[in-house]
Amino acid sequence: MALLIYQRETGLKTMSEFLRNWLTVLIFGGVGILLVSVFLGLGSLLRPSRDTPQKRINYESGVDPQGDMWSQANIRYYVFALMFVLFDVEAVFIFPWAARLEVYGLFGLVEMFIFIFILALGLLYAWRKRLLRWV
Amino acid sequence: MSTNLLIVAFERPAIDWHAVAPEIVLLSVGVLITLLDILFLEKARPYMAALSGLGILATAIPLLTLGIDGTERVLFDGAYVVDNFSLVLKAIFLLAGYVVILLSTNYIVDGDYWESEYYGLLLASLMGMIMMASSRDLISVFVALELLSIPAYLMVAWRKRDPKSNEAGLKYYLMGVFASAVMLYGMSLLFGVSGTTVLSEIADSIDAGNGSSSVMTLGIVFVVAGFAFKVSAVPFHTWAPDVYEGAPTPVTAFLSVASKAAGFVALLALIFVGFYELSNIWEPLIWILAALSMTVGNLVALRQTNIVRLMAYSGVAQTGFMIAPLAVAGHSLSTGNQALSAIVTYLAIYAAMNLGAFAVIITLARRTGSAEIDSFSGAFHFAPGLTVAMTIFLFSLAGIPPLGGWFAKFEVFRVLATSGETWGYLLAVVAAINSVIALFYYATIARKMWADDPSEKDLNNIEVTPSLVSALAICVLVTLLFGIFPQLVARFTEVSLLAFGV
Amino acid sequence: MLLNQFLILSAVLFSIGVYGVLTRRNGVMVLMSIELILNSVNINLVAFAAFREAIPGEVFALFVIAVAAAEVGVGLAMVLLLYRNRRNIDLAGIDSMKG
Repeated sequence: MALLIYQRETGLKTMSEFLRNWLTVLIFGGVGILLVSVFLGLGSLLRPSRDTPQKRINYESGVDPQGDMWSQANIRYYVFALMFVLFDVEAVFIFPWAARLEVYGLFGLVEMFIFIFILALGLLYAWRKRLLRWV
Repeated sequence: MSTNLLIVAFERPAIDWHAVAPEIVLLSVGVLITLLDILFLEKARPYMAALSGLGILATAIPLLTLGIDGTERVLFDGAYVVDNFSLVLKAIFLLAGYVVILLSTNYIVDGDYWESEYYGLLLASLMGMIMMASSRDLISVFVALELLSIPAYLMVAWRKRDPKSNEAGLKYYLMGVFASAVMLYGMSLLFGVSGTTVLSEIADSIDAGNGSSSVMTLGIVFVVAGFAFKVSAVPFHTWAPDVYEGAPTPVTAFLSVASKAAGFVALLALIFVGFYELSNIWEPLIWILAALSMTVGNLVALRQTNIVRLMAYSGVAQTGFMIAPLAVAGHSLSTGNQALSAIVTYLAIYAAMNLGAFAVIITLARRTGSAEIDSFSGAFHFAPGLTVAMTIFLFSLAGIPPLGGWFAKFEVFRVLATSGETWGYLLAVVAAINSVIALFYYATIARKMWADDPSEKDLNNIEVTPSLVSALAICVLVTLLFGIFPQLVARFTEVSLLAFGV
Repeated sequence: MLLNQFLILSAVLFSIGVYGVLTRRNGVMVLMSIELILNSVNINLVAFAAFREAIPGEVFALFVIAVAAAEVGVGLAMVLLLYRNRRNIDLAGIDSMKG
């Protein structure tokens, strides 16, 4: 079904026109791969290579790495991550409103205040139940 | 293309405040509960049950005035409709919610289980249900479904230290989210074919010839499967027994009645308003779901020893009965209307009798400390009143006249037998055989309670709390009243969705 | 306007998600697979909306995103609860109820 509608509506008359669009993508990708391999190749040709055990250690912000990389994150991060995700994502309803602020006028403002009030209630609840504290 | 979409003059939608008054009242009570919890913490806890009960009663007031007014109100270009169908179902949801609060009061206090949050979530879930009753749009159906499901996931896992409750919560969550994700994929296909999310416009688009596409079929199959999970129809029922067993019993009562009814409401709205014309797609699906649910549910229920698991499988079988009229609903408009009325009637009566049965189970299990059927043996010796009530509910579930369940089953058979379709007769035969099987295990429980020797040593009469007495009274009254005066319930459930949309 | 490519992408994502839900035993991995399904839905909705110039599809996608966040919040809390009680999140271990 989709293919039929696609051919009807896109206005792309021929297959070659379609392929030409993709040619751009192909050239772009090719240039990207070429550039990266040229720079990496040049680097490996020019730099001196003296391997020591210290150089093979994983980089961890300058300190000596401890444990293996699959160590579990502290479970306390989860609570904060959860709350961040929840409040962060609710912004999807605020952005469209903010983009058309004048058009929606007072009505939109009141609606948004009700929305934010209920959201804020959630945050207040988390604060009052001491979830925001790092125990 | 994208620029001209953005420049749309904004017109403040006209809102019929009377029509959305029940939702606003319920939302305000929910917000109030959260606010009181934030302000007073522990001090507010003892009042939460009473407050949420009053909140539900307050919500019933605008519902009543809307019912007296009786006009059909269409909001947001047909996305949200307040008609008789939605009013009747909202009333069922509120009544079920009220009874569940009555059942919860002691149970939740005993376990010291975060009452403020519990009642807040219960009201949120109810809010989703009464929204669902009015939703006639894919987006609002989806939002209502999630609003009623997400608090339910949390309530199932409410006993935080109990591994069984954890397990039930996680199972319910994973399967529920998976089902709703698959359903959403179906909805996205429906939107793709029709270009609209309003159900009545989808129906128009089907009339215009979009219905024959295979994408539409796929979308309908996915959506029906998603709601089949919600109403726990075989083969999407596997979560029900485990969740029912692990969840706190009042929550089980809530799930088995209100959540199931909400799934039915959405299914009815989608099928009758959205794709009624495509009955050749959904009728066979529903037929298979109905026949399987009745048979599998009843056969597995026969060998259960735990009463909650037995109620889960009996609930699956009852789902089969409720869904059966849909299998012939596409035959003609009058059959469709009869099928709708039969399902709504069944939902109302089922809510009363099932909640009642759970009320008895909760009370008895508090005494015996177990949900095994054998521990209820000889209950007549230490709880005669409860035994009589349980017998009424069990026989009503089995469909014995003159109890409510009898009229519900009678309506189903009437629709199946008068549709004039061979498939309808066949399904009626399957249903008849299953009624007999069901009678066997319902009667076994009743016999054990009346005739067997009690396994309990303490034969003092059980103490029933006032809230449980009122819950039981409501349920017994409704079950008896609807059975003896069937025209009473028929008067309310004589609803139609087919007036617009086709 | 390319529609087919988007639909194929979303169908592939959907299938990977369903496969993940059915085969994975780690609770968090199952949640991620469910996210894949929801994202395939979003791709579908937005592609159809742009293709048909019908705004409701985009609005629907916004609601799916917001609700998915709430769902995942509950899901992670549930997995956390499981971890606290059992010290692992292996879903194959939760089968205490049968029948």
